[in-house]
Formats: sequence, structure tokens, C-alpha cells
Amino acid sequence: MTKEELQGATEEEQQAQSKKALKKQQKEAEKAAKKAEKQAKMASEQQSAEEDDFAKDRYGVSAMVQSQQKLGKQCFLVLRQQQFNVQALVAVGDRASKQMVKFAANITKESIVDVEATVRKVEQKIESCSQQDVELHVERIFVISQAEPRLPLQLEDAVRPDGEGEEEGRATVNQDTRLDNRVIDLRTTTSQAVFRLQSGVCQLFRDTLTKKGFVEIQTPKIISAASEGGANVFTVSYFKTSAFLAQSPQLYKQMCICADFDKVFCVGPVFRAEDSNTHRHLTEFVGLDIEMAFNYHYHEVIDSITDTMVQIFKGLRDNFQTEIQTVNKQFPSEPFKFLEPTLRLEYTEAVAMLREAGVEMGDEDDLSTPNEKLLGRLVKEKYDTDFYVLDKYPLAVRPFYTMPDPSNPKYSNSYDMFMRGEEILSGAQRVHDAQLLTERAIHHQIDLEKIKAYIDSFRYGAPPHGGGGIGLERVCMLYLGLHNVRQTSMFPRDPKRLTP
Amino acid sequence: MPMYQVKPICGGDIKIDLPTCMYKVPNIHAQQGKSCTPEHALQNGEVDPAVKALEARQDEIMRKLYELKAAVEGLAKTVMTPDADLDLTVSSSLSSQCSTTFKNTTDLDTVLGKDLGALRDIVINANPVQPPLTLLMLHSLLCQHYRVLSTVHVHSSVASVPPQLLSCLGPRHTDSYARHMFQLGFTLIWKDVPKPQMKFSIKNMCPIEGEGNIARFLFKLLAPYPSDPAVATLVDSWVDTAFFQLAEGSVKERSTVLRALNSTLGSNPWLAGPEFSLADVACYCCVLQSGSASSSPANVQRWIKSCENLGHFSHAKLLLK
Repeated sequence: MTKEELQGATEEEQQAQSKKALKKQQKEAEKAAKKAEKQAKMASEQQSAEEDDFAKDRYGVSAMVQSQQKLGKQCFLVLRQQQFNVQALVAVGDRASKQMVKFAANITKESIVDVEATVRKVEQKIESCSQQDVELHVERIFVISQAEPRLPLQLEDAVRPDGEGEEEGRATVNQDTRLDNRVIDLRTTTSQAVFRLQSGVCQLFRDTLTKKGFVEIQTPKIISAASEGGANVFTVSYFKTSAFLAQSPQLYKQMCICADFDKVFCVGPVFRAEDSNTHRHLTEFVGLDIEMAFNYHYHEVIDSITDTMVQIFKGLRDNFQTEIQTVNKQFPSEPFKFLEPTLRLEYTEAVAMLREAGVEMGDEDDLSTPNEKLLGRLVKEKYDTDFYVLDKYPLAVRPFYTMPDPSNPKYSNSYDMFMRGEEILSGAQRVHDAQLLTERAIHHQIDLEKIKAYIDSFRYGAPPHGGGGIGLERVCMLYLGLHNVRQTSMFPRDPKRLTP
Repeated sequence: MPMYQVKPICGGDIKIDLPTCMYKVPNIHAQQGKSCTPEHALQNGEVDPAVKALEARQDEIMRKLYELKAAVEGLAKTVMTPDADLDLTVSSSLSSQCSTTFKNTTDLDTVLGKDLGALRDIVINANPVQPPLTLLMLHSLLCQHYRVLSTVHVHSSVASVPPQLLSCLGPRHTDSYARHMFQLGFTLIWKDVPKPQMKFSIKNMCPIEGEGNIARFLFKLLAPYPSDPAVATLVDSWVDTAFFQLAEGSVKERSTVLRALNSTLGSNPWLAGPEFSLADVACYCCVLQSGSASSSPANVQRWIKSCENLGHFSHAKLLLK
């Protein structure tokens, strides 16, 4: 026989063998047992210096194929699970045939696969993966759910930092494309980290307040009258009449305090029909609201709220460092700094600081957004904190239910809290006397008929109380130093977007 | 021979009782037993008003005695301590007016700039590993001259701080909810910084670094530097010696400084001459922090006692523990 014939014969034999091998593999079912990362770490600890002679671990990985690259007799795959990814190698050898390598190379990206492999240490660090010191040598690979070949966006592009994209001429994905294909965009390691952190914020909020003795309440979102003014409210048809979607749980929080619950908080959606297309406004967002009765001075309320915020920041700083670092890789920013107890400045001090910096404003003017940002920078420069409270706002710029300052009628017992120079909370001591409330409402030229139910709730004994509310998405955005609130909202709603 | 004899009328050995009592007065206690109404009053638990008045007089006398004793003690100490009007530790219990340790006071506006109608807040960042004793001392001096709003914060760069550092500026002022009622703000932030740092006006002032420099700034709020340039330079040089050689120097440098202190204090009551100055504050704090107070020479020990008599330093000593 000639050489070629010999070769042909062996190839045929090999083909027959590999077909049998494939069939064998297909018959047996594998189950994904434990997480890839933990197994990888355990295995690498058990390994000795020599790589050929060691106890082989066998386990299943249920992961997504992120990418693959075929180099002759080898194929490299990147497998991903939530925030972590690991490199996998399919090479022609005694466990894998040429056909298997070809099969692996043709698996479409983002398919779900079931893999049996051994974990091996590598000499050179794998820079592109989160698990940098090990790789998987694949022995069996199955596709569980195949993805379509053409993806609307590439995940490597979605994770690339903007600066790098411009420098090297590679693509980055713009926000609209991301939001249209949110399911794929949420798979990026950055998005996974952001929303895990957001879940942490919510959990820390609940835990801290429950420890302080607060009760969680749920307030209705379909209401009969607009609570804060008629302009920014959504109307829904309600059987034969119409109703409104709640702009804030304010009314019901206060009613709970009058119902003798002393300290309450609620977590729920808030609907604002503001036609603002800015980086920090959404039409629907998650509001975390607090309301409490106090004994001697409304500063007890401020202290309670700021202490809750500080506990949240500490919890994030101590327990979510991995997530913060992951986000920083794509969106670099300064770490968040704060003081304990929280810094509290008075409005007059803020006006003095702004005037010193050259801004002209009257004593009772409200702070415009650029002024707020400038004030944030000045406070950061002097006190080195990204979070502070501004107390004693002028009465003229606050809603009618804010309690005026007893010692100075120009000012009120109200406060705002800022993170990185942007406002996150607007709160105050509320007027708890029905008579005074009626006078203030008349002064603001509000129709008393519309708020009759609100005033009535204070007529039968109401303790002095105050509170405030924060937006979950905005707090996450500012804590991580991101620039658009849509990055921290899973399926954002704004005047131009209703899907997905 | 007698003319006639008479029989004696009485015997010669009659015993006569000579009275010892000149006059008798009826028993006061017996009188109470006789009349009924006062007895009822006693049974009700009330005290006879006469007794009450007596007790009150007695208390008054005792109180005056104590005051007199304290005043004498104070005077005794002032005889030994130069340049102190009255011992402040004692005078505080008498609640007399606080003494003016400094003859000249400064106008806040000239040092800190125009009053913009809001609290003027001085921010000091310090490392909790090395608490700045001098600055805390100067803070208590400032509190006696002005209405100061003091707050302590912990920065997020520091995990935790021992509790005495959190209360080092004293208890929270009752009016602290109204910041505009104070003339000066003193905000101390425990932060991970290499050297103590002070910030006041972002626009007009750059940050001040180093405990000595911050001490000079704060001292100028209390009293201006001595007008004589030689004395002023002497004060400055002692402040620098305190921070660079006493606090941070090696054992040999420290003993040199202590000897220099000893020789200066042999001829002067205070380091910069006849008056108490920043040099004394700085050197006292650094000597205390370096732990060589008990092993220092005689003049230095005497000077340490004089400093402590002035009353402001007791706070600092508590902090060291």
C-alpha cells in the first residue's frame, strides 16, 4: 500500500472510532454539579508542580460560551457564569477528536453548554478572563440551548471602556442599542455587578431600618388625587372614572404615623410624568421612603436617616468590593468617601461658600443644578466627603406641608441630602397641625377641596414627624460614579422608552 | 484669868454646804415636755423652726469656711506659679469669671476674613494613630474665649476609632442644632493622613500642613504674636524644636532638648520670657507625648507643674491615658 492509502485507512478508522465515541458521549447524560470557580480553586490547590501526573477532577460546568477561537488542532473557548469567566481548551488528543474540535469551534456565541473538563494550572496569566491562573481542558462538551448566529451586539464591545474603544479603533456599544437588547446587555460582567450591588443596597436599607425598629409598609399606587401638584402625574382609566398613579407615598406614610406606627418605611415604585430627558430622570423608579415621629427636635429624623445611609455605605464598602472593582474596570471613578456622623451644613453656610466662589445669589433663592454641583465640589475640597446634608432651607422654595422654622420665619425645618454634588433626598419636618396646614395651603393658593382628606388625617391627634425619600437607581448611580441613571435601572422608563 | 465664861452656843464642827450655782434657769427641755402643741408637731415629723434656722446658719458658716480654704489654697499656688491670676481648677468650682491668660485679644475678622453671615468652620484632618494634643489644647483655650461649635467625625478611610478620641472635644453643646449661633466652628475629622492638615477657606487659603503650623494659626486667633521680633522668633523656634526634635526625634535629640529646656527655665518662668506663650503649649504637649515628663530635670518638672496649674492642660492629660 502507498502512504496515502495507509493514511486514508487510518483516517477512516479514526472516523469510525470518533463516531462511536461521540455516540457514547451522547448516550450518557451529564449534570452540572458545582460552580466552576470554586472547583477550579480547589483543584489548583491540590495540584503539585508537575502537570502531567495528577489526580484528575471530573465535574460538570453549566456555562455560556462567550467566544471561541480555532487554531488548527485546538480550539479555545471562553465560558462565562454571571460575573466570572474562564478559558477552556478543546485539543485533539486521546479524549477529543478532530471532529469534536470542529464541533466546538462552530458552537454559536452565547449558547448554553454542558462541559466536562479537567482543571489545569497555567504558567502565564490569562489576562482576558476573571479566573487568570487556571484553564479547563475539555473532555466532553454538549450544547443545551443554541443561540442564533447573528447577535445584535457583541459582548466584548459592551464591556469595553469608552476610552479604550476610541484609542484602538474598536467598537463600543451605545446606550440605545444596549437598552433595546437589554437581555444580552445585562449579561455583561459590569451589569451583573451593578445589579448585585443594587440588590445589596435594598437589603442593607431594610436590615438597618428594621434593626432601628421601623415597620415596613406597602402604600397604594392608584390614588384619587395628585399629592404634589397636578402637572407631573400619570392618569389611568379606572372603571367609569379616572385615577392617578402615585407620585410618592408621602400622603400614606404620614397617615401611618397618625395611625400610631411611630416609624415606617416603604420600598415601591414611584411614577413621575416629567418630560425631562436628562441623565438622572426616569418616569418610573424605585423609591425608598422613610417617615418617623420624633420626641424633641426634628434633627432626630435627620440623624436617623443619615445613620441609615452611612450603614448602607459601610455595608457596600465592606461586602461588595468585588462588584465595585468590576464596575470600575469599565467605568473608572473615585471611590466614595463619607464622614461618620454625617456632615450637616446650614443653608446660610452654603450660600456663603458659593458667594465666596463668585456665585451671585439671594439669601432665599433655591440652588440651581450647576450651583449644587459647585457646592458639592467645594464641600469635597474642604471636608473630603461625597455625602452631606444641607439643613434649614428657605421656606419660600419648599412645598406647603413643610414646617416653618419657629425662630426665623424666612427659613423652614427642611433638608436635602447630596451625593457627589447631586441631590438624592428632599425631606422636612411636616406640619402636623390641621389649622396651620390649612393656612399654609391657602398661602400657596392650593385648592382646599382637593386635599381635604389629607388635612382631615391630622385632626384626630397627630405627633410631630418628618422624613424623606431616596431613589434606588440614583443612589446606586452616584455611589458607583456612573453618569446615567439608565445604567442602574434594569428596564428603564423615560419619556421616549416603554419597552422592553 | 478670864473675866467670865460663856458656854458655847453651837459646836465648832458644823458642816456648811457652800452653794456652787450662782443662779438657776428653768430647763428648756423640761418645758417642752410640759406644753402639748410642740409635741404634736414633733410627732408629725416637722422640725421646730428655730432648729431649722440654726442648721441653716451652720451650713452657711461651713460653706464660707470651705470657700475660704479654697481661696487660700489658690493663693498659695499662685505664689509658686508665676503669671497666673488664679488657679483655674479651683476657681471653676467657685464659678468666678474665667481669667484672661492672654493680655491682648484679637479680632476674628482681621485673622479669618470678612464675616459672610454664616458659621466660620475650621476643618482639621488628623490621624487617629497620632492624636494632635497641641491642637486639642488650643481648642479648649479657644472655647474659653469664643463660642465654638465643636464636632468630631470619622472619615471612611479609617475603619474605627477608640471612643476617647470621639469625645476628645468635650460633650455636645446644647445649642448645636443651630449652627449660626456660634462664632467659630471646629470640625475634627479622624482620617488616614500622613500629617495633620487644616482647611478653612477654599478660595482664599491653601491647606495648612503640620501640627506646628496649625498650632500657630490657632494661637493667632487667641492672641497676636509678641510684637518684639526677637521674642516672636524665639517662640517659633521653640515650637519647631518641640515638633521636630521632641516628638519625632531620637532619644539623644530628646535629651538634648530637655537639657536646653532646663537651662532656659532656670532663668525665666516661661520659655519665651515672662509671659506664657505658644512655645509653652507646644513643648508641654510634646514632652507629655514623648513620655519623658517624669524623667526630666528639676526646672522642667517645676515648669510642668506651673503649666498644669493653669488648668487648661488637665484635659490633655486625660486624653493621653
